[in-house]
Amino acid sequence: MKKVLLICTILLAGSSLLWAAGGSKKKKPLPYDFGSVTISNYSQTGGMAPVVFDHWMHRKSYTCRLCHVDIGFGMSANSTKMRAADNAKGYFCGSCHNGKSALNKTKIFDSCATSYSREEYPRCLKCHALEKDPAREEAFFQFRDQMPKETFGNGINWEKAESLGLIKLSDQLDGVSIKKSGMKIQGDFALKAKVEGMPDIIFSHSKHTVWNGCEVCHPDIFMGIKRGSTKYTMIELFEGKYCGVCHDKVAFPQTDCKRCHAKPV
Amino acid sequence: MRTVVTKLKRGALAGLTCLLLWQGAALGAEAWLAEFESTCAKTNDAMELSTQELSLLIESCTRLQKVIETQEESLRKVYSKRLQLCKNLYVYVLDYKKNRQQSP
Repeated sequence: MKKVLLICTILLAGSSLLWAAGGSKKKKPLPYDFGSVTISNYSQTGGMAPVVFDHWMHRKSYTCRLCHVDIGFGMSANSTKMRAADNAKGYFCGSCHNGKSALNKTKIFDSCATSYSREEYPRCLKCHALEKDPAREEAFFQFRDQMPKETFGNGINWEKAESLGLIKLSDQLDGVSIKKSGMKIQGDFALKAKVEGMPDIIFSHSKHTVWNGCEVCHPDIFMGIKRGSTKYTMIELFEGKYCGVCHDKVAFPQTDCKRCHAKPV
Repeated sequence: MRTVVTKLKRGALAGLTCLLLWQGAALGAEAWLAEFESTCAKTNDAMELSTQELSLLIESCTRLQKVIETQEESLRKVYSKRLQLCKNLYVYVLDYKKNRQQSP
């Protein structure tokens, strides 16, 4: 009976969301596209295609905090309002994509320039590309094959990949990041599930702070410090609020219930 | 001969003044950046700071905000965002600590 009630509640919540979205079903992104962000503030007025940013390519080497705090990228597409000139001066993408920085002894390609020649134009298309690039797709699948598997999202269990030492994330960028003391990590805690029969949520501060620091989530996403003081529902999460700011978009999707509702019953 | 020496002296003085002004401006730029780094370096320890320490950090953020607003566009965009994240966290932790002190 409890299970039937639970399934009904989930179906009702899902159908309400679809109704609210105008009755159109949201297309589930392919593993390769999961986490891709299309940035189009000024590109088109500059005669370029929008930028398609692949999160998977960057999160295999850097923490979320490095880009969203130290470099200053916003948490949603188009919120940063960056211009080619900003990148060319060494800010935003240009913090790493400056033609001088390297990753694993490989030089990182230069980002925007205020003027470019015909020969340089293919470099622009590395980011300003709406069309599918088979080489990038192939690179993704080659990378994914070496990583622990996951059912949802882009099919990679990133947390496990890091704990197994398959990826080593950099949290500091010379000349950009501030040297900070090690963080005293707040303890994990359980949040009571609202639906009867659903296991409680185990929120791991350590798993989140290691990639995000404090200021990515507090206070912009979660206002309350005291456990349970920020009230939210699954519907709000699916609307992209609270956990939904990252989960569903870049971090594992919220349809992977057991990843959060993990407290043994 | 005397006029040439005088002109040379004036030139040297003008050069020295320019150098000092340029150095001053460069030091000024470094000063706010150094203050920004020392202010925002404590975000990892925010929960361990006293209300007085947090208030001083917030004051420093407010001061820095005014300086950052005068910088060129790209720099302003980046550092305004970074400062905002750090200031908001301090304000948020300070509120929490004050409320905790007030609650019985």
